Amino acid sequence: MVFIVTALMIEAAPIIEYFKLKRDMNSHEYAIYRNESIALIISGVGKIKSAMATVYLYCTYKATKNDYILNIGFCGAGNARYELGTMLIINKVTDMDTGRDLYPDVFFGHFLPQEAICCFSKPVHKEDFENSTDFFCDMESSGIMEAARKLTYAHNVVILKIISDYLSPDNLDKNVLQPLIKNQLCNIKRIIEELIQHNSNMDELILDKEKQAVDMLSKNLKFTEAMKQMLMKDIKKAKLKNLEPLKILESLTVTTVNSKSEGKKIFEQIRQQLK
Amino acid sequence: MSKSGSNLNKCPFNSIYIEEQAYEYPITQQLLEKYTGCPVIRIKHYKDVFNRTNQHFRIQKEHLSLILAVKDKQFLYKGPEVCQNFGYTNFYYTSFILNCIFDCEYCYLQGMYPSANIVAFVNIEDYKNAIADIAIKEPVYLAASYDTDLIAFHNIIPYMDDCYNFFVRQRNLFVEIRTKSANQAFYKNYPAADNIIIAFSLAPQEIIDRYEKHTPSLESRIKAIQTATANGYKVRICFDPVFIGSIADDKYEVFYRKIFEQINPDKILDVGYGFFRMSRDFFKRIEKQRSNSLLYLEDYCVDDNIVSYSKELQEITKEKHFKAITQYIDKEKIYTL
Repeated sequence: MVFIVTALMIEAAPIIEYFKLKRDMNSHEYAIYRNESIALIISGVGKIKSAMATVYLYCTYKATKNDYILNIGFCGAGNARYELGTMLIINKVTDMDTGRDLYPDVFFGHFLPQEAICCFSKPVHKEDFENSTDFFCDMESSGIMEAARKLTYAHNVVILKIISDYLSPDNLDKNVLQPLIKNQLCNIKRIIEELIQHNSNMDELILDKEKQAVDMLSKNLKFTEAMKQMLMKDIKKAKLKNLEPLKILESLTVTTVNSKSEGKKIFEQIRQQLK
Repeated sequence: MSKSGSNLNKCPFNSIYIEEQAYEYPITQQLLEKYTGCPVIRIKHYKDVFNRTNQHFRIQKEHLSLILAVKDKQFLYKGPEVCQNFGYTNFYYTSFILNCIFDCEYCYLQGMYPSANIVAFVNIEDYKNAIADIAIKEPVYLAASYDTDLIAFHNIIPYMDDCYNFFVRQRNLFVEIRTKSANQAFYKNYPAADNIIIAFSLAPQEIIDRYEKHTPSLESRIKAIQTATANGYKVRICFDPVFIGSIADDKYEVFYRKIFEQINPDKILDVGYGFFRMSRDFFKRIEKQRSNSLLYLEDYCVDDNIVSYSKELQEITKEKHFKAITQYIDKEKIYTL
């Protein structure tokens, strides 16, 4: 599943409309909008709120390391190298309170410019800085990164920032800002597609059904934890040799035993069949 | 600082991370000039990137990034017991680079490091000083291409340009450079030296196809050996790791014959021979990462925390293999663990 975290409704609205997301009425603590493959949460402004919202999404939807976290939002630019509305893909986040640097692995979106970003706890203005302002800034990215590094792989977290201003964040006009997001919706969709495609290419061995079958067998046939592990290893091997271990397991799902020794006999039979 | 990805195809790396203190070194500057299109990310310390949690080794291996760093301590390490010392008591190894551009399924580096990205240390002079400090006291056998393949990496960072003359000048130093590279130019560009040994890792082509992704073919490695010996290099051949099992058993004897029909055994310094083996911790980590690898599902024995084939199986296989190898090489010249 793709989890999108935005700070504000103004950032979220065009995404909700584009992906046809519907309000999840089961969530009362946060406004969450979702369809089958995407869930978007509006976190509020700031890194603590963004971290909380990310964890909330993960817990609510029982997500795994193979799910994706996207932070989409506005950022300020301390230089005029890019036009307003340019979307950046972030390859380094510096938490300006702690000085800590956090790095997502950026393996996709090579059609976008990559930049580092500084995450501040409050809005910053050009006049706040005596020295160079050759940086980009936001208020959520470090919260997302801190949460994500516990929850998902380094390549499954994506920080996308659209330049809204040149360090003059006050009185930004909603009518100017929303089109900036709208103009990037195709690129956001492309990033999501690349991300999903990328992981599906990894060709990992999926054994979910076999695990379920082994769990059931172990319960019925009184297998120990060590026996379960040995069986899973044999199943993996059989699957890699293009055999169909699930068929063997399924033929035994209704079998039960009265003692461990009876179970052990069946265990050895299964192992033989898997060879 | 960073650049858009429009020129990414020119660079073999997904990104280049550079430690702040590494910028001033010539290697860094040369690489920045060479790979202008690659995103460059400034970092404080290489471990901030290399040691992150939740990195996906397999996916990173498909999108390698380069990390340029300054090594701050311990430039040399005592050789571990799982490695052959070829009769030298003062066996050290050094790592100019962590990780390797090749992707061998059996490689222990997958279990040793949390990241597949390549760390290249740029302060070569510090390494040289540390090596000279030890070599001045006693004869030292140094594995210089350890945890990596320096010759295969030569086209990216030519470490040997900086180190070769230094190695040759050290009277007490014997350097082994282990490689799977087919780079023949190297042996033509550098004159052979008495204290430098090039150790080529060889395996049957079927094993290369199965386990040694991105590595040169057996044929091209043989050509590289022929070039090295023709240019007077001391050459070691390493049959390591050797595999046992249905996919390997009938391959080796034909392979040994092929090798020594094409390479004059008299021109070979010695032979290293070792079975597939790995520390139990590394093995467990790799087993999780490589869920689709049969290699990590085979039945092995664990002896003194090392996972390998049973002693009996090793003895039977070794006897068979030695019978083939000793037709060409004296038994005394074969080093095993």
